[in-house]
Amino acid sequence: MRRSLFMSAIIALSVIAMVVPSVFAGSYDLKEITPAVKQALENRQARYSQLQSLKQKGAVGEDNKGFVADLGRDPQAAAMVNSENRDRRIIYQALVDQNKLGSAGMTEVQKVFAEVQRDKASSGEYIQTPAGEWSRKT
Amino acid sequence: MTEIRKFSGVILSLLLVAGCTVKAVGDPDRPITINANVVVDIRGLKETATGIEDLVAQGGK
Repeated sequence: MRRSLFMSAIIALSVIAMVVPSVFAGSYDLKEITPAVKQALENRQARYSQLQSLKQKGAVGEDNKGFVADLGRDPQAAAMVNSENRDRRIIYQALVDQNKLGSAGMTEVQKVFAEVQRDKASSGEYIQTPAGEWSRKT
Repeated sequence: MTEIRKFSGVILSLLLVAGCTVKAVGDPDRPITINANVVVDIRGLKETATGIEDLVAQGGK
């Protein structure tokens, strides 16, 4: 009797240990739009058209870490890139903190955003592959 | 013998509950365990990222 109770407890613990992490997977979001996140999103919206224009001119590209890079073809690009990357970092950090992803989570968040930016890039814009090579999207 | 079995069972259970750390490989179909019991579902994260970038693009047009 005691033995079967003991075995049942072990099985129950094992099932809980396997099920609990998968229940919490896949629920990532900005759970709270803090003033800093709100400001970062509004800043990004405000500069979106200008940034797109620089991308189409080949002056700015999307790197493989979820940030934009100044490709040295337009003097306006540097300031735009710094501001955009500052706002992106605020959003990424909020995702990591609010979803308790830890320091290793930032790398994953950056990689996923970089992938989304590559997907969304228009033909002719510069993108950096996961391996680090720059190319124009076809 | 029974004591050894019990001890092994307890150790195995503790290991399962504590979770483990594995190296991230970035497969979108496979959740990645970064720290004990912290699982990153890459597909879920990609949906979130796409939603945020859509929001930025829509607000910026």
